[in-house]
Amino acid sequence: MRATIVAVAAALAFGALAPAGGAKEQRCPKAWVSGWQQLANKVNAPVYCPAWMPNPLDARIGGEWQDIYSIDKDRSYLVSFLYHGDQGTGDVHVNFRGYPGQMAIPRCKTIISVNGTKTRRGTTPCFADAGGTRKAGGIVATVYTVNQDADQWHVLYAWRHDGSLYTVSEHVIRPYTYRQVVRNLDRLLASLVLVQPAR
Amino acid sequence: MQITRRGFLGGAVAGALGGAGLYELVDRLTQAPKRPLAAPPPAGLAAEQHVIDLRTVHSEGVEVIVPPLHSEVVTAKLDVADLRRAQRDLEDALRELDGRFAPNPAGLAVTVAWGLPYFERYVPAQWQAHRPHDRRADASALLPPRRFPSDPHDTILESNDVAIFLRIDDARKLLFDGLGFLKTTSIRRGFAGGGFEGGQGLPKQMAVAAGVPGADLIPDGSELFLGFTSTQKSGLGPRLIANHETLGYVDVRGGYFRHGTHMHLSHIAEDLEAWYLNFDFDERVLTVFRPGMTNVRQGAQTVPQGPEHVSTEHQVKHQFRTTGRFGHSASIQSTSRLLQDFVATDGSVYPKGTAIPQRADFNTLDNPFAWTATPGRDKFKAEAAAGVHFVVFNPSSDDFARNRLAMDGHLPDGTKLELPPRGRAQGINSVLTTTHRQNFLVPPRRHRSFPLAEL
Repeated sequence: MRATIVAVAAALAFGALAPAGGAKEQRCPKAWVSGWQQLANKVNAPVYCPAWMPNPLDARIGGEWQDIYSIDKDRSYLVSFLYHGDQGTGDVHVNFRGYPGQMAIPRCKTIISVNGTKTRRGTTPCFADAGGTRKAGGIVATVYTVNQDADQWHVLYAWRHDGSLYTVSEHVIRPYTYRQVVRNLDRLLASLVLVQPAR
Repeated sequence: MQITRRGFLGGAVAGALGGAGLYELVDRLTQAPKRPLAAPPPAGLAAEQHVIDLRTVHSEGVEVIVPPLHSEVVTAKLDVADLRRAQRDLEDALRELDGRFAPNPAGLAVTVAWGLPYFERYVPAQWQAHRPHDRRADASALLPPRRFPSDPHDTILESNDVAIFLRIDDARKLLFDGLGFLKTTSIRRGFAGGGFEGGQGLPKQMAVAAGVPGADLIPDGSELFLGFTSTQKSGLGPRLIANHETLGYVDVRGGYFRHGTHMHLSHIAEDLEAWYLNFDFDERVLTVFRPGMTNVRQGAQTVPQGPEHVSTEHQVKHQFRTTGRFGHSASIQSTSRLLQDFVATDGSVYPKGTAIPQRADFNTLDNPFAWTATPGRDKFKAEAAAGVHFVVFNPSSDDFARNRLAMDGHLPDGTKLELPPRGRAQGINSVLTTTHRQNFLVPPRRHRSFPLAEL
């Protein structure tokens, strides 16, 4: 709790919790902000905190739904939230990525098995098949429909801010169809709040 | 049992129209392709039932055949006591339709195909004496259906007596009722094209209207759900090539089935989300056509597949060794295209690379059928699903099987390109699920009604 208060205080002091866009002021929810602030501090770059998440997820890092929390040596990060519908209700899976200081679409490794014995290794763009853009809160995001690794079978929105690449994606799987996932991502995009690292 | 003209075609079709209002959207979303108005049939109808002449247009610089907007297949089992009377009644009904509608999709194109159960149950002795014989397989040209390596273990192998294939643009022409002596087992409906005259293709409009998962991902203008044009002229067998006798694959013996052909009918479910969310455009091209095909414009839908683009068996193997993949078209072409120039028995010259199968498949939102007599067995669901009713004419069951096996990497020389049957490296195979299969024999027009019953 103390950390949260400190983080929020620090954020306010430095204007860290600015809305991503401008028209409608969003705030990173109080219960979630400390985790995103810590992430911003760790990667020493702004990160995007969502003010809304698809049911039943929340975006509390360290909370009930957090799945992956990974920061690479190059400061790129992946934070994901996952609800496993073990009772047949379907999964809900949302990924947030950031690539501080990198603007290019990263490349992912591919491995193809040949004749069941040999393997061919290569790389492919991690995000591909760009299909239009979405605008919300000052962000202009490109929609990618074919994505790799943790974003495989996800629809992914990618955008650039201040020299860095950011993405948010959601898995297309029951209970959500492609169309519903796009709707969710639109809402997510509009809810993003930029969290600046504490100085 | 008296069969009326209304009784023949009508009932099945009327049932389909009544039960699947969704397909009425086809007429609202597009206009029938411009074709000559239905006219009285020419003095001499083609000897073949399966041949219809369709106009062509150019799509992305490639000549493509404009497919019929609407297609339907009605399958049935027979409940006939007096076979010869049924034969007369059916033929009378067909002739009445011949006189009323031109035999093309602007009128009414009807192909009556008969399953092995009909021949074995109703005319077994005559069948033994006259059945066309596949020389390469040293077996009947009509074989029981089989499962192929990438088929699920529960693909249903059907045993219908008859299938009536209707290719029509305007469903309103089919206001009939009552099927009479045919016990309908399924009604399968669908559509194709609609995008060649400009604007959005039917598949996307229909799938979006039906709320099919992944519908929004279908490219605008696409002829088929999976995004590529499949009716380019050079990719389909020319007029008579699929006849039993044309290429000499089949011995028609006494000639009863000369001008006949073989029809394979299957239903294939298509996972659009898996296709469009896992394979980017470049990979879709590689898996649908051939590995190494890197010069295709992003978003292209009609990719030339003329004789000069045909892959040989050797090339397919080489591509597999170097990339770990093989293309859908490339592998099938190793068996579906002529390996050398061929002069047919009627003197027609077919150049090397000419396609043999005549495909007549169409998109469907049936799940798996518009109507079925056995909903439990067929896993019938009312909610729409993307798929294809795959209809193809080949000289024989074995010829079809060779093509279908090649699609799974089993090449004509016995080579097996080892990939998991439904693995991701199989590309398009990994998003297709065949639910039903059956083979049929399409008699020549003169014997289309209860073939062999008169002997």
